[in-house]
Amino acid sequence: MLTYILRRVLQTLVVIALLSYVVFTLMALMPGDPVEMMIASNPKITAEDIVRLREFYGLDQPAWKRYANWVGTISQGDLGYSRTYRVPVMELMGPRLLNTLILSVCALSFSLLVGITLGVLSALKPGGRLDSFFSVFSFAGISIPSFWLGIMLIIVFSVKLGWFPAGGTQTIGMEGASWYREFFDRGWYLVLPVMSLSIQQIGTFMRYARSAMMEVLRLDFIRTAKAKGLSRGRVLWKHAFRNALIPLITIAALSLSNVFSGAILTETVFSYQGVGKLVYDSIIANDFNVAMVSFIISVSMVLMMNLVADILYGFADPRISYS
Amino acid sequence: MKYLWTCLAMSLALPAFAAPDNSELKIGISQEFENMNPLIMSMMATTYMSRLVGRALVTLDADNRWVPQLAKDIPSLEKGTAKIVEAGGKKKIVAHWEILDKANWGDGTPMTCADFAFAREVALSPTVSVGERETFGLVEKIDWDPKTPKKCTFTYEKARWDFYQLPQFYPLPKHVEGPVFEKYGKQKEGYEKNSNYVKAPTTPGLYNGPYVISEVKLGDHVTFTPNAHFYGEKAKIRKIIVKLISNTGTMEANLRSGTIDMVSSLGLALDQAIAFEKKAKAEALPFTVLYTPSSTYEHIDINLDTPALKDVRVRKALLHGINREDLVKALFEGRQSAAYHFISPKDPWYTTDPGYVTTYRYSKRLAQKLLDEAGWKVGPDGYRVKDGKRLSFVFMTTSGNKTRELVQTYLQEQWKQLGIEVLIKNEPAKVFFGETTRKRKFAGLVMFAWVSAPESNPRSTLSSKSIPSSKNGWAGQNISGWVNPEVDQAIEAIDLEFDAKKRLQYAHELQKHYTADVPVLPMFYRSDISVIPKNLKNYRMTGHQFAETNEAEKWTLE
Amino acid sequence: MSSANPPVNDTATMQRMEQAQSMKAIVFRQFLDHRLAVVGAVIIAFLLTTALCAPLISALTGLSPESQNVGARYLLPFQKAVIPSDQREIAMEQWINAHPGEAAVLQKALIERNLATGDEEEALYDVVTRDIVEAKQGLQAIRDLPGGDELVKMSQGWERFHVFGTDEIGRDVFIRLIYGARVSIGVGLLVAFASGMIGFLIGSLAGFYGGLIDAFLMRVTDALLSLPIFPVLIVFAAIDLNKIPWLSSLIGGEHESIFKMVMILCLFSWMTVARLVRGSILSLREREFILAARTLGARDRTIIARHLFPNVIAPMIVAITLGVGESILFEAALSFLGLGIMPPAASWGNMLNNAQEVIYNNIWLAVLPGLMILITVVSFNFLGDGLQDAMDPKSIRR
Repeated sequence: MLTYILRRVLQTLVVIALLSYVVFTLMALMPGDPVEMMIASNPKITAEDIVRLREFYGLDQPAWKRYANWVGTISQGDLGYSRTYRVPVMELMGPRLLNTLILSVCALSFSLLVGITLGVLSALKPGGRLDSFFSVFSFAGISIPSFWLGIMLIIVFSVKLGWFPAGGTQTIGMEGASWYREFFDRGWYLVLPVMSLSIQQIGTFMRYARSAMMEVLRLDFIRTAKAKGLSRGRVLWKHAFRNALIPLITIAALSLSNVFSGAILTETVFSYQGVGKLVYDSIIANDFNVAMVSFIISVSMVLMMNLVADILYGFADPRISYS
Repeated sequence: MKYLWTCLAMSLALPAFAAPDNSELKIGISQEFENMNPLIMSMMATTYMSRLVGRALVTLDADNRWVPQLAKDIPSLEKGTAKIVEAGGKKKIVAHWEILDKANWGDGTPMTCADFAFAREVALSPTVSVGERETFGLVEKIDWDPKTPKKCTFTYEKARWDFYQLPQFYPLPKHVEGPVFEKYGKQKEGYEKNSNYVKAPTTPGLYNGPYVISEVKLGDHVTFTPNAHFYGEKAKIRKIIVKLISNTGTMEANLRSGTIDMVSSLGLALDQAIAFEKKAKAEALPFTVLYTPSSTYEHIDINLDTPALKDVRVRKALLHGINREDLVKALFEGRQSAAYHFISPKDPWYTTDPGYVTTYRYSKRLAQKLLDEAGWKVGPDGYRVKDGKRLSFVFMTTSGNKTRELVQTYLQEQWKQLGIEVLIKNEPAKVFFGETTRKRKFAGLVMFAWVSAPESNPRSTLSSKSIPSSKNGWAGQNISGWVNPEVDQAIEAIDLEFDAKKRLQYAHELQKHYTADVPVLPMFYRSDISVIPKNLKNYRMTGHQFAETNEAEKWTLE
Repeated sequence: MSSANPPVNDTATMQRMEQAQSMKAIVFRQFLDHRLAVVGAVIIAFLLTTALCAPLISALTGLSPESQNVGARYLLPFQKAVIPSDQREIAMEQWINAHPGEAAVLQKALIERNLATGDEEEALYDVVTRDIVEAKQGLQAIRDLPGGDELVKMSQGWERFHVFGTDEIGRDVFIRLIYGARVSIGVGLLVAFASGMIGFLIGSLAGFYGGLIDAFLMRVTDALLSLPIFPVLIVFAAIDLNKIPWLSSLIGGEHESIFKMVMILCLFSWMTVARLVRGSILSLREREFILAARTLGARDRTIIARHLFPNVIAPMIVAITLGVGESILFEAALSFLGLGIMPPAASWGNMLNNAQEVIYNNIWLAVLPGLMILITVVSFNFLGDGLQDAMDPKSIRR
């Protein structure tokens, strides 16, 4: 078991390292560098300024050399300096990482809750009216462009009805307020983003929950439990559901990758201050350090979650062994 | 839960606009901002906010006049506060700047010449990544007598008539930032990483404007409170919050819900503003939409190395073929005005005198005649051909800029009617400015804008020395590649000419060549837009890069 | 279907049941059982036909996806607009150039009948650039002359009806949605097919040869599968392909952004098919008919193409169908962020690009393209689901 985990961790690290190099070189292929951006915004910059700044940022060196330098500083614990915000990357990332985490976890738990409930309900009577309705619903959920749903939610709930804020993370001046007011305020801002981010996952979870549940319900021990005269609810939740949960754990962990991907769009649509938006903004603005760090953090988080999913799976299902 | 329902009830009870009062004003901006270090900052939104907390020696006011801010007076040769001296065979200027007696930093420390000298030292230090050093480099040295620390003598390296125009020469508080620079100044980027503007941005001693910063949340908002030690009149509004709403589409919703009370000049797009104005009128909302013509000049640069576009007749045909007045009316509802050349109507150098300026009236048939003369005949498919080659070129601009894309598609259609094929290829701003325009990698047209202060020398955009090439390290903004010896001469002469009338003559000369040669197709001047609450008084937009926040202490909500 | 519970004494039915049914027939019959899949297939067929007939529709309605009308921006659905006078002038000029003789007569008549004043050469231009009602009346008055009839007909096209309204520059939304369908569905299909082929190639190589090749290819597949796809796509979409010389010559030109989009999406969507194919081939490899082929001296590529490919085609079709929907979603998302298809080419995604900014001007500009994406993707997903059910040998129902 331990060797298996170690091997997987090592593999994950290798993937991250390789990927960071690939992405670094790709970003070097992106047109424009920070100096060029400065020139564009300021016609007064002279030729001497340009040479000076390029040397200053080390942009006159080949990509691999810059990568080596970058790895050097990273390994010293210095994440670098944002060219856009002109602050250390560390200070920029912290609060945003937390915001994205809050958004993703909320979206994931919400979609698990809704998706599994609806999935189990439709598994009870396959082919029934409820089942076909939910099936159409789940297909629609998988097929809807989440950013568009976000815009529609804004139109309906904030522009027309004015129930929820159209975007942002929290009301200004709420930070000093009592914790529950701050809590509800944040929640208020989260409702629409979570809805738009969850919809696709709800569709997926529904389908998985339904098929897992149907599979389990067909098994002998369920029949035995029913024959013993156990109540319907007990059979359903205690026996069947617990067994159906095993494949769902993996799906849930894996879908964090999707939620994280989706967060980029959701955060952009709702101007939510998270890492996803930072990834997009920094790539667009050519903010090298921020782009690299936020990219690697998001990739590592996803890869680590996959690892956790695998390990959890081993604990949940005693039949699987990792020797 | 109770709070939740209160929220619901509150939001359902829309639209109950509580008019803002002097206790708080929340301003929406749509652009990102960085830390507030005046030497390092380069973003528009930061410049906008920096004027709330910091001032310079002089500035350009809303009437386009140079006025002193931290200085008692603007030095001039006539008054004798500045004079031309000869040193080492070079003409130089020595000017006397006197800082206001009341000019203090936010912690009460008096501002002295040392703060200016310190700013210059930091800006010119090789370890600090200051974008543009020219302003600081122009001043060769700053001297003062320790007994009169507010009386400074600036020595300029060149005798230029516009020596007093130092709007970006910000002082840096030596008593706060000095130790940081001493400690980290040797490291590369050490100073900017450890500066108090980054580490402790709420330190009052960093600021000298009507406000100081009481809270910063990067990427979200900044809170300003009045500065007790400000030299001028006391700020009326007791709290200003500038909130970033990066999605301009939600700006209106935020305005309606009271999240913000007004939208700054860095907020709404023109289309959105026009739509909002109509609704505000219909629903009697307590907002005023203000439009101010700005000095932002939208234009299309022609790559003069493109074979088809080398012919001036083709370039003239391009101008005759578009109806700029109609474009401005149809697309902007007349809120922005058509341009004839690079100088804005607010600039004293502006002229429309037909003796100098050639205007190209809209006439499709005139345009077609010019194209026929140039040898481009309409082929069977409706496009013009010469020597078997189609009259076709690429038209590029920044993708995502809606107004530009709108104008672009409009023009494409107009030129298509002349039998010119225009292929649109748009790129994200960084590609566009970083590669395409800077290295002149385009075969045809590029549309973008620049801002210039009044009476500023167009050297970087029109001089043949400013044509970017690998030889000059891709410096300069003469993207068209326009070479005109007379223009070059005028540009060189204008800086050193102290006679305003003669400068005007040179400027008119420039406009003459510019409109006759058509290296650039002038399009329009942008307007600055902001939405303010009806009860906000003394709010004046400027239309240039020194934003309305320069007068923030006068704003009042009644 | 209706024969689910046949009465046993019905000999005709009995006969039919006893008859062996071909695989195709079974699949088809089972597919028809999946009602939503059938609906999906019909919708897709309709969309594809419409997309393919876009130029025809454009010709019939007189609408073009690029023709603008700055006088009629942000029109709501079901409204009429008049085309601007300069476009009328150009149309007139083209007609005059084509029919100089008739034009001269008409122009003379206009002056004679006091319908126009001034220069004879300018008479027709003068009439058509007037207010639309007057212009029409003017042309109506010379209908009796040769060519007049033609002009009246032409003038009828000057008033346009916009079913779905117009966008920020007065272009017809309806026709743009149709042309957008070409790009969006086209990209979707292209990506799904191309990545299906790549997936097949990689999957079959890995499955067929096993060993180190398999281990390497599958590690790559797994690594790619576990990436958060969107940040990666953004990085790729943001790079400038022109910096890679051999690519720039390949994809230059007007449709550069479309090719770029297809390429990038292909790079990251072959993995599902690859795993699927590898799995099937691992089991097929050991079967007798492969052994037989090999004994007969068939080369590896013959075996892969002739014997293995037909056996994995069914799951591949399902994966490709589902992939179309996914690719359409990715295209839309990237274009929405401004990193995808470049204007003026319309795609549903780039029509949504500034949707948020225009919701106050014309809400339909934000609603309609998204609705089209939703309908199309749902249809493809239903179709895929139906095909899966129909082709899955385990679920064959007789």
